[in-house]
Amino acid sequence: MNKKILRRAEPYLWIAPSVILMAIFIVTPILKVFQMAGNKVSRTGQLRGFNNFENFATVLKNPTFGLVLKNTIVWTIAVVVLSTVLGFVLALILNNKFRGRKIARAIVVFPWATTLVIQASAWNFIINTDYGTLNTLLMKLGILSAPMNWTPTPEAYFAWEIACGIFVTVPFVTFCVLSGLQSIDTTYYEAATVDGANYWQKLFKITLPLVKSSLTVSTVLNIIYVFNSFPIIWTMTKGDPANHTDTLVTYLYKLAFYNGRQGEAAAVSVIGFIILLICASTYMIYTLRKGDDEL
Amino acid sequence: MKKALALLLALVMALALVACGGGNNAGKNNNQGGSATPPPQTDEPDKNDEPAPSGDKIDINVIAAEYGQNTKQWWADFQNEFNAANENINLVVEVVSWNDIYTVVNTRLGGNAAPDILNIDVFADYQADGLLLPAQDYVSEETYAKLYPAFLDQSVVDGTVWAIPDLASARAMYYNVDILEAAGVEVPTTWDELKAACEAIKAYDSSIYPWGIDMTTDEGQAAFAYYVWNNGGDFTDADGNWTLNSDANVEAIEYAIGLVNDGYTNSDPANETRYNLQDLFGAGKLAMVIGPNSIPTYIADNYAKANTPEAEQINFAFTSIPTNGGNPSVSAGVMDRFMCFDNGHSDEKIEAIKTFFDFFYDDARYSEWVLMEGFLPATSAGGEIVAKEDPSMAPWVDIVGSCKFYPTAKAEWADVKQGVIDVEQQALLGGDVRELLDSLQSRIAG
Repeated sequence: MNKKILRRAEPYLWIAPSVILMAIFIVTPILKVFQMAGNKVSRTGQLRGFNNFENFATVLKNPTFGLVLKNTIVWTIAVVVLSTVLGFVLALILNNKFRGRKIARAIVVFPWATTLVIQASAWNFIINTDYGTLNTLLMKLGILSAPMNWTPTPEAYFAWEIACGIFVTVPFVTFCVLSGLQSIDTTYYEAATVDGANYWQKLFKITLPLVKSSLTVSTVLNIIYVFNSFPIIWTMTKGDPANHTDTLVTYLYKLAFYNGRQGEAAAVSVIGFIILLICASTYMIYTLRKGDDEL
Repeated sequence: MKKALALLLALVMALALVACGGGNNAGKNNNQGGSATPPPQTDEPDKNDEPAPSGDKIDINVIAAEYGQNTKQWWADFQNEFNAANENINLVVEVVSWNDIYTVVNTRLGGNAAPDILNIDVFADYQADGLLLPAQDYVSEETYAKLYPAFLDQSVVDGTVWAIPDLASARAMYYNVDILEAAGVEVPTTWDELKAACEAIKAYDSSIYPWGIDMTTDEGQAAFAYYVWNNGGDFTDADGNWTLNSDANVEAIEYAIGLVNDGYTNSDPANETRYNLQDLFGAGKLAMVIGPNSIPTYIADNYAKANTPEAEQINFAFTSIPTNGGNPSVSAGVMDRFMCFDNGHSDEKIEAIKTFFDFFYDDARYSEWVLMEGFLPATSAGGEIVAKEDPSMAPWVDIVGSCKFYPTAKAEWADVKQGVIDVEQQALLGGDVRELLDSLQSRIAG
């Protein structure tokens, strides 16, 4: 009898540490944020009771929120889509056998292995008007005669931030796809070649369907990471000028730690959480279900 | 047997985790005498790492801001000296970096573990939440009398002083002597002269930025203050009502934005912080910039780090900030403070806190600290000593006694600060200054 109970309880006991860990470090902060979002919060972080979702109303009424939300969507879609396309192409290239492939694969990891703050600082250093290496290089090559301002408008700055975001995201996609590519049986390609399929037919009929699960994983994770990415934008522009390069995460950080409006910051956080939950789960359900149907 | 062992191990792990989680609330009640004092969380020198023994001693815990590389060591030595001189008191000073200090303090407050004494820049939010004690309750009359009255006035809410100044910094206009001479211009004292000087410098060498402006999230409020104060405007009127959209303010910001639009300034004022400007100034690429008294040290440190040959080092000087309309030149002051949290202290503990401040503001010790940090003193005696010890500081000691401060005592200050930065950045993007300031004024003043 005792043995039976023990056997039944055993798996739960083994997962208990991770469940407790998650409860302390993930669930508790999430609940705390929800609690703050529903409360009036003083500037020193003291909760002053439920305030009828006033934090949400204030945030949604502020025109800045619309701008920031638009930026977040542009940022997430641009970085995720472009880095997925580039990462996929790079993975196809790296899957071929060529001299120096190992070195090439190692080089691809570098941007991923470097801290984002360092990456963003390096990009800032490259594009700086006064001492940037890009201007120096172009002037040395005789292409430019005087330093050029690479960030004349907020949109231009945002585009550079997106470029930096893509640069650091590509390696992750590349390696996800590469692992998928390596698991494809070469006999499929051989059979297709015998049947007279060309390169593109093989790519769309064999490669893509078979790496779809890897792509789904990398895309879902990227949507979450990129949507929540803080260091690149914070290091390069801090969301300036006038919130034109802010995303939800940098905006809520400013609200909480520069404006002392922690309740509103928590509300922005909850809104972001819900958007992310909807986007990621819709995408996952859609792609996985489609995959199941095909099987 | 194996299963029983596994079960035991899992239970131990689970319990250990629960215990870790509960650790956050340890030391909640840090009242006087023998209560648990939160151990220092920063990587302070070895001697402070051990939790301080309490016994019958009166515990005082202090959170101090980290001003520079030597701050931690100075406070560690101070703590040892103080504890040796006061056997009935157990002082623990935790030095926290500026990046973390607000979060650390708010987390402590959230856990009902407020420090006894806090050294930080702002105080109004804590006062508004009823967390502070009036300054005169915990500072001895003798020490209180040492502090500049103009500084104390900056911490008054409802007629009561809630915090005391620990140090200050002031701003002035720095200029590259060689560039101004080569361009054939005198040091500008008015806005018209400044514009003319910018034009001449631009004509002399178009690769040099004549004037530096920082309108970033970091310190855009300082730019607002420089132009507004030197045009006879202000954040508030004499009664303390917000006057953000006054004519003088609108004119001042329009003038500053005009300098940017005319191409007289650094290329990206919304993203270039004062450190970028200081670097440009030190590299001889910027002719004039308003900056703090620490600029000479900053530039000298950079030269030392980069082994810059003397020939490439700039020849610079400072003077008062140019003004408009015959208004007197106003320097912007930035001041940090000490405050005492109302943790239900006993009379003995209040006496112990008074002893702490007497010890800290001891003329010799205090001026040594101020000189070490490279700031300006908040006491007249300290001012005299600092001016004598370091002649380069002497003009600054005069400036700081007469400069203006941000209205940080007002509860809306955080919103105003971010609001004026937003106005500047919107104006840089082509927004109308008057409309923007009108909108900010109505948002703040209602």
